[in-house]
Amino acid sequence: MKGQRVAVVGVGYSTIGRSTGLSLDDLAVEASIAAMADAGLKPTDIDGVATHCFPHQLVRPTRVADLLGIPDLGWYSGNFDGAAYVVAAHHGIAAVASGSCHTCLTIRSVHRMGASGGTRAWPADGIAGVDQFLVPYGDTTAAHWAAMYMQRHMHEFGTTPEQFGEFVIAQRDYAAANPDAIHRTPLTMDDYLSSRMIARPLHVLDCDYPVDAGSALIFTTEERARDMVHKPVFFESWAAGTTDVLDFHLLESMPQSSPWRAAQRMWSKTDLGPDDVNIAGLYDGFSFIAMQWMEALGFCGLGESGPFVEAGHTRPGGRLPTNTDGGACNVGRRHGANFFIEVTRQLRGECGDRQIPGASVGVVSNSVGGFAGCALMINE
Amino acid sequence: MPQTMLDGRVARHELRPAPDHLTAFFWEAALRHELAIQKCDGCGYFNHWPVPRCKKCWSTALSPTKVSGQATVYTFAVATQAFHPWFESRLPFVVAVIELAEQSGLKLVSNVIGCPVDDVHCGMAVEVTFEDVEEGFTLPMFRPAATRGLGQ
Ligand SMILES: [Zn+2]
Repeated sequence: MKGQRVAVVGVGYSTIGRSTGLSLDDLAVEASIAAMADAGLKPTDIDGVATHCFPHQLVRPTRVADLLGIPDLGWYSGNFDGAAYVVAAHHGIAAVASGSCHTCLTIRSVHRMGASGGTRAWPADGIAGVDQFLVPYGDTTAAHWAAMYMQRHMHEFGTTPEQFGEFVIAQRDYAAANPDAIHRTPLTMDDYLSSRMIARPLHVLDCDYPVDAGSALIFTTEERARDMVHKPVFFESWAAGTTDVLDFHLLESMPQSSPWRAAQRMWSKTDLGPDDVNIAGLYDGFSFIAMQWMEALGFCGLGESGPFVEAGHTRPGGRLPTNTDGGACNVGRRHGANFFIEVTRQLRGECGDRQIPGASVGVVSNSVGGFAGCALMINE
Repeated sequence: MPQTMLDGRVARHELRPAPDHLTAFFWEAALRHELAIQKCDGCGYFNHWPVPRCKKCWSTALSPTKVSGQATVYTFAVATQAFHPWFESRLPFVVAVIELAEQSGLKLVSNVIGCPVDDVHCGMAVEVTFEDVEEGFTLPMFRPAATRGLGQ
């Protein structure tokens, strides 16, 4: 049913920074070159490219192939809808599993300005589309709905600001051991609680850190992967999920949004379960999103992510070491790709000071609200 | 009405809706101080935000329908940072997801006004009110319900 087994054989990042001066295409190309170097592959070895970008940050797969000197694509996908990098990953996995292509580059480029959040230019002729029901009320950024998701979780389950803070502090401690992280100074609870409030209960430290970044991963068949540089990491299961009401504000349940659908679907396609997982990369565009994934994926019960985090389960030696690169709050916003890259590296055992001993089964996730996706990865 | 900013300048609310053929009724009703939601003539389902076809039965016979304005706060955030000058003098203010009494799960986004921000809570009973922002531009908002109990 799943087709051929699919392996990750190369991972790479572009130059990362607040203002790199690099175009989205430049970022995609730099990341792809790094991933090909990691895999030991040449442009002629690649026959598929999948990109994901939001509509105003277009990166075309055929353009990237052209810039890289990939002579011929047997398959490609340029997608702008849904849950960011995981969409490109799912497309690439499906393409290799089905035999549509044999070796697929999957890419996400993001610019610091122009992703969701931050300052935006307002149209002079009024606010059109669904934003007309949000923006006139001052609901102008993703931080506003994020704060509302946190508030509802606090209301239903008694989650505390300190519990969100503990998640933020724990992943900063991982970042301190990651030389590639941007924010590496350990945080105290006071640091968290006194950080700038954007919309109560959401602090600036609950938010991912906007950067210019390109990320790339290369997927191929098991047969080809066996001959490559690194011990392959395989996709065991993968799934997306959406909600009856797509809008992030209006959907039926904020605490049980699309990650619950995606997680249930992913587990339905494997004999493995939450107890088998020993490393996680859970999307932290906002801190609460990673915590919703802990519940959705079954690592704790509905509403229990606060106590789960507070008990230290996301730290080294805990039940579920999570975001061991430091997460997007600390390595910078990669729109989901960093979780796939870090878990791949953990499953290879190449993470140095932050390596989780015995990491063998990892889960990765992306997005929340109306659309989300996840995947299960294993190193054998 | 215009808002006076911290430095004394006056800010206009430039973030006006740009109504289209589906949404114009909502803003026109607001000018009359009515809250109107699109209701399906075929199956009675309320759709918000407005859609070209009913999501439940695919009917295109959809009528703007005045609703009671009775509602509860599903969730909220207290905005403490303004992303447009008009909001500066309103800080802190409450952005909320409001669930209308007419139909389970029928929600919209609005502001809760008329009480201290710290009094707002999930499940709070509220009712519609209207703020005439500028000429030709009225926003439906919500305030603590006058007569009902604590809600859910
Ligand atoms: Zn209908």
